[in-house]
Amino acid sequence: MLRWKYSRPLLAALLVALALAPMFTSLPLGKPGLQQTLAVAFIWGALALTYDLLFGFTGLLSFGHALYFATGVYVSCILINHEIVSWWLAAIIATVASGVLAALVGAASLRTTGITFAMVTLAFGEAGHVIVGRNFFNLTGGENGIALNADFVPQFWIGVVNTKYIYWTALLALIITYLVIWWVTESSAGRVFAALRDNEQRVQVLGLDTQKFKLLSFVISGTLAGMLGFVMLIAAGSAAPRFAESSVTIALLLMVVIGGAVTRWGAVLGGIFYSFASTRMQDLTQQESFKSIPEWIGGPIAEPALLLGLIFIFIVMFAPGGLSGAYYRLRMKALARKHS
Amino acid sequence: MNALSVKDLHVKINESHILHGVSFEVPTNKVTALLGRNGVGKSTTLRTIMGFYEGTGSIELNGKQIIGMPTHKIVQSGVAFVPEDREVFASLTVKENLSLAARSKDSAAAYKFVYDLFPELDTRAAQQAGSLSGGQQQMVAIARALLNKNEILLVDEPTKGLAPKLVTEVAEALTKVAEQSTMLLVEQNLALVKRVAQHVIVMDQGRVVYQGGPENLNDDSWVHQMLGVSGGHK
Amino acid sequence: MDTFILIGITGIGLGALYFLVASGLSLIYGLMGVLNFAHGSFLTVGAFVGYWVATRLGPETTMTDFILAMIVGGLAAGLFALMIEQLLITRLYDRHIDQALVTVGVSLVVGAVLGGWFGNDLIMFPTPLWFLTAVNVGGAMIPADRIVYIATAVLLLIANWALLKFTRIGLIIRAGVENRNMVNALGINVRRAFSTVFFLGGFAAGVGGVLVSVYSNGVSPLIAGSYLIYGFIVVVIGGMGSVPGSFLAAMLIGVIRQFANYYVTGLGDFVVVILLAGVLLIRPQGLLGKVRA
Repeated sequence: MLRWKYSRPLLAALLVALALAPMFTSLPLGKPGLQQTLAVAFIWGALALTYDLLFGFTGLLSFGHALYFATGVYVSCILINHEIVSWWLAAIIATVASGVLAALVGAASLRTTGITFAMVTLAFGEAGHVIVGRNFFNLTGGENGIALNADFVPQFWIGVVNTKYIYWTALLALIITYLVIWWVTESSAGRVFAALRDNEQRVQVLGLDTQKFKLLSFVISGTLAGMLGFVMLIAAGSAAPRFAESSVTIALLLMVVIGGAVTRWGAVLGGIFYSFASTRMQDLTQQESFKSIPEWIGGPIAEPALLLGLIFIFIVMFAPGGLSGAYYRLRMKALARKHS
Repeated sequence: MNALSVKDLHVKINESHILHGVSFEVPTNKVTALLGRNGVGKSTTLRTIMGFYEGTGSIELNGKQIIGMPTHKIVQSGVAFVPEDREVFASLTVKENLSLAARSKDSAAAYKFVYDLFPELDTRAAQQAGSLSGGQQQMVAIARALLNKNEILLVDEPTKGLAPKLVTEVAEALTKVAEQSTMLLVEQNLALVKRVAQHVIVMDQGRVVYQGGPENLNDDSWVHQMLGVSGGHK
Repeated sequence: MDTFILIGITGIGLGALYFLVASGLSLIYGLMGVLNFAHGSFLTVGAFVGYWVATRLGPETTMTDFILAMIVGGLAAGLFALMIEQLLITRLYDRHIDQALVTVGVSLVVGAVLGGWFGNDLIMFPTPLWFLTAVNVGGAMIPADRIVYIATAVLLLIANWALLKFTRIGLIIRAGVENRNMVNALGINVRRAFSTVFFLGGFAAGVGGVLVSVYSNGVSPLIAGSYLIYGFIVVVIGGMGSVPGSFLAAMLIGVIRQFANYYVTGLGDFVVVILLAGVLLIRPQGLLGKVRA
């Protein structure tokens, strides 16, 4: 991958700035509102990165990624609320549970490939959504979900004044996810993933068990999604069926494609942009100036899905590689000019 | 006069270079055999002529450039194809396989020719092609190619995997077809090649290494050196 | 016994709705390899156009009005599907993942536009009064609308079969599902068949949209969601590209789901997923699917 000599110092500076900003109440990031929006955006960025490992790096088009995320959310919430274990153990168990579920579902669905694999993972994901929506054994709270019992988690995560701690937790989770995915994709297993995506037969010829490597990628991705589920529980304060919907996975797919697959930072940026845009679009359309637009245009524009859907179609049709792909193309051109 | 003229054809599939500047001619109204060891690019050459693979260079059909054209246009301009492994439509009946192939409105004469050649296809018209034997499927595959007016017939290993008795039957049919058409035939069975071919092309490692008359096929040491097999006396 | 018949027929009625969605999905996938997430949008477009027709036709909806609404809804959805195919899908020829992604985008945009215009709440769909009556079948009182679903699905199955069996384009479609390259190698432009399949799939989904609106007690941009997912499941279980397979699987799933839900609320969806997993393990190509070369 093309490297820019200032990219690492710049990234470090950006991280320090993002980490310190909430301390200064005069800055926009000193306000709980923006902190909360960004915390959620960080979680989506990290989640998009786990999806990039599957879709971008390994070439597995899964439509059931929400299942492992939701498992993380629900398992940790149930364990905490019923006082079965302390919060940190709940987080660990939920993460492991997501990984185990990913191993089971992955083993069954990886018997298929390509578009069939997409359909099968969609069906399993949807089963998860149905199950949490039904309130079996009074555990999941049905359509309403369950609120996290604030008495059983550390008090620095509770209350509007403490939003900055949620912000820091989310930022930390994003950094951990990034480092793990960076380590995995740069490892020898990561190279096998990429080889699988480009030409599965060639990997088979080398005598490697391709199914095992695909499953490994599936499990790593599912486990990280489970961990992020716990962080989302802290940020959202409740577990709800919307975390298990297939639209979550579709949103992740949009984030990765918009940001650009296989560059890591593209997926993160796509996730943050998507999450931020979805929240802010609604605020924007509440404004007075917006009211002057005729209803038949204004109505659809007020739905964030319209703009995101159109951007998405445009990128797939005309700009494969998304934002990060476009960036690298520009740099390639600049380099070519320098050398000519 | 040449029906087909291939010049400097290069083909890459998944980054690997398969054909390195293949050039040859297929004379009109003759059977040309395309020979060579396994994996030297014979099938790739046929499939590139058919437009399945992208290639660079030139492929002229009676002087008209066809490289880069979509497959169905290439076929409409007079190239018929009998693929390796036959590729009949297994869930369609024999009759449906044939009527799918027949493009002209008036094909009664063509059907008569085909049914005279393979009477079995007439009696088995309503049978699903997937339930036919290998030899019968090969007849369907050849028949499909004969239902239209063609400038050239590309036939890829028609006797591959067939029992000896069926090999003879298919060979006889091909001989009859050869009497009135131009054919480019890929075939491992040298006895059949000797019987029908009037022109021979040998390929090795993505290149043409011999082009000329069939007389060398009777020279065992030549055959051994060129094709890595020992003669045609099976 | 009465309850048994009632649940069974309701299940078949539900299966009929699944079939209307799945038949198109299956053919589109079988012929072109396109995983069509926009199929739910075809259903919704059909539902809204059908709704528009039904409300225009008079204060009291007659059976003729309703049938007209179904046909116009189906045609509108078919034309919309054709437009999507021509405008987007053909430009991504054979890039299957990108084709699937673009259809995801279409479903988002259609959902946003319809949501912006009509809101996401259910709007009452006008139906003939006869739908509210019950029909006596073997001693069980069956809600009349179920009969309509089943009759429509059977009618479309027959029409579909006849088209595939007796027309040249049907022959091309059947051959193309099996081996697209070979159809091209017989001098036929197989892409001509793509548009037909998209139109037909859109038509069936649009008709299904009108019926789903009746079944869900109203029309909204969100009604397609679960039917699309069930459509996918039906296609996988029935076998990709096989319309009779879709019919069989749709009926099977509809009935099994209703019976499971009768004994334990909410069990139905779970059983269907178990069934899916079982089929994948034992017969990955689906009930009537063919093993691909």
